[in-house]
Amino acid sequence: MVKIIKGAVHDMIRLEKVYKTFPNTTVPAVDKISFTIEKGNICVFVGPSGCGKTTILRMINRLVEPTGGSIYIDGENIMETDADQLRRRIGYVIQQIGLLPHRTIGQNVGLVPRLLKWPEDRINKRVMELLEIVGLDPRETARKYPYQLSGGQMQRAGVARALAVDPPIMLMDEPFGAVDPIVRGHLQDEFLRLQQEVKKTICFVTHDINEALKMGDYIVVLNAGKLVQKGTPLEMLSDPANDFVKDLIGDDRGVKLLDLTRAESLLQASTSETDKAVRECSCYIDAVQPVKMALEVMMKNNSDVVGIRRGSEVVGTLSWTEIKQHINKISGDQ
Amino acid sequence: MNFEFNRFVEAMFDRSPPYILEHVQLVLIPLGIATAVAFPIGVLLTRPRFRRYTDRVMGIFNAGQTIPPLAVIAVFFPFFGLGYRPALIALTIYALLPIARNTLAGMSSVSPEVKEAARGMGMTEWQILNQVEIPLSLSVVMSGIKTSAVLTAGTAALAALVGGKGMGAVIFAGINFFRMELILAGTLYIAIIALAIDRLLSFIEGRLTPSYMK
Repeated sequence: MVKIIKGAVHDMIRLEKVYKTFPNTTVPAVDKISFTIEKGNICVFVGPSGCGKTTILRMINRLVEPTGGSIYIDGENIMETDADQLRRRIGYVIQQIGLLPHRTIGQNVGLVPRLLKWPEDRINKRVMELLEIVGLDPRETARKYPYQLSGGQMQRAGVARALAVDPPIMLMDEPFGAVDPIVRGHLQDEFLRLQQEVKKTICFVTHDINEALKMGDYIVVLNAGKLVQKGTPLEMLSDPANDFVKDLIGDDRGVKLLDLTRAESLLQASTSETDKAVRECSCYIDAVQPVKMALEVMMKNNSDVVGIRRGSEVVGTLSWTEIKQHINKISGDQ
Repeated sequence: MNFEFNRFVEAMFDRSPPYILEHVQLVLIPLGIATAVAFPIGVLLTRPRFRRYTDRVMGIFNAGQTIPPLAVIAVFFPFFGLGYRPALIALTIYALLPIARNTLAGMSSVSPEVKEAARGMGMTEWQILNQVEIPLSLSVVMSGIKTSAVLTAGTAALAALVGGKGMGAVIFAGINFFRMELILAGTLYIAIIALAIDRLLSFIEGRLTPSYMK
C-alpha cells in the first residue's frame, strides 16, 4: 500500500507486468506491460488496430480481467475490489457513447449518482451543472432523448455522464472518433480546457497520432500488445524510439511539432528578461493552444513575440527565435 | 348449404354470445401461463451461463409448435381426460414458441455498446437486465405475445372437439347441422376476439414502451 503524501505527485494508476491472453488465442493481446500514470495527467494509448490499447483500458475498470500481473488504482489492487463499485468510481466514455436510448439525457447523466443512491434533488442539481459544463443547454437537453441530439451533442452528454460523480479517473476510448473533424477539433479543445479545471487522471485511447499528440501529457505507443515507447508528445516527436514510432508519426515531424506542441510546453522559466517581454507583448494566446497558433498570431500582429496566458493570468512569452531554435533542434535529430 | 339472413342474425345475437366469455378465457389463460413460462426462459437463455442450451430449448419449443393441438390433447388424454383442462394445456404449449422466440430476438437486439456502457458505468448484471435489456426488448417481446394471442384465438376453436367449450362449439354445431350461419357467426366472433385482444395488448404495450419508441 502506497502512502499518499498530500500535495506530492503520486501514481494514480500503476500497471505491473499486465498480461492478457484471450481464450483460443496463442498471441497475447497485452504482453507484460508496466507503466504508471501520475495524478492529473492525460495518458494517451496509441497504436494500430489490435495493438491492445482498448484491452488495457478495459482492464483498468475490469471489463476485461487480466490473465496475469496487477493493476493498482491509488495504491489499491483492483482485483481486490468489487468490480461494480470500482466502475462507479471511474468515468467511462466510449466511441459509440452508449447513452441508454430509452432514458432522457438528464436520466443518462444522472445514472451513476442514481446507482449511488444520491437524493433526487441533488442528482437534478448535478445534472444541470454537468450539462452546463459540457456546453449543452441544461433546460433544453435534459428532457430530450439521445436520438434527438446530434453526434457532437451526444458525445458531450457522454462526457457529462462520465463526470457525474466527479470520479478522479476517466477512461476514454476514442471518445471523439465518431464525429466529423471540425466537431472533433472543437470537442478536443473544450475537453482540454475542461481538464485544466477538473484535473482528472485520464486514460485516452486513440489510433490517431495527431489526437494523441494534441491531447496527451504522456503518450504510450503500443504495437502487437507490447509497449514501444512512453513519453511526452515532445519526446515522442524529437526522439522517437524506433522506426515504428517514426512511421506512426509520419514524415512531417517538424511541422507536427509546431502544430501539436502546446505553447506552454516551450515556455521558459520566468526571468527578468521574460517579465520585460511580457509587458511588451501586444498579442496573446492561450497556454494550451499550439505553437503554430503563436506563429499565426505573430504574423497577424507583425510582432516577434507573443504572450502566453493560462486563464486570465499571463505566464510567459514565446518568441520567434525560440520557436526557430526548437525547429532546428528537431530537424537536427532527423 | 344455404344461407338465410335472419338465421344468421339469430346465430350472431342469440346462439353465439354465451360462448364469448368462454372463448376469451381459452385465449387469455393459456396466453398468461405461456408468457409466464416462455418470457423468463427466453431471458434466461440469453444469459452467458445458459446460452449454450438455447438451440436445444428452442428445438423443444419448435417441436411443440409442429404437433397438431388435437395430438397434444391425445397425448395428455390418459392423464387429464377430455374437457377444459387438457384443452388449456394444449393451447399453452402452442402459445409458448412465439413468445420465447421473440424474447430471445428482443434481448439480443439490444446494442452491445449500450450494454457495455451500462456495465462500464457500474450497473450490476441485474440492473442491466432490469433497467436496460428488458425495457429495450419489450416491444419485440410484446409482438411475440400478440402473435401468440392471435394464434391461440384461432386454435382455441378446436377445444370444443374435446369438450373444452368456447366458440368452437358454435362452429362445430354449424358443421354438424349444415348451418352456414352458425359457422360464419362463430368465425366472425373468433376474429373479433383476436382483434380485441390484439388491441388490448397494444394498449398495454403503449403503456410500457419508453416514449422514445412511440
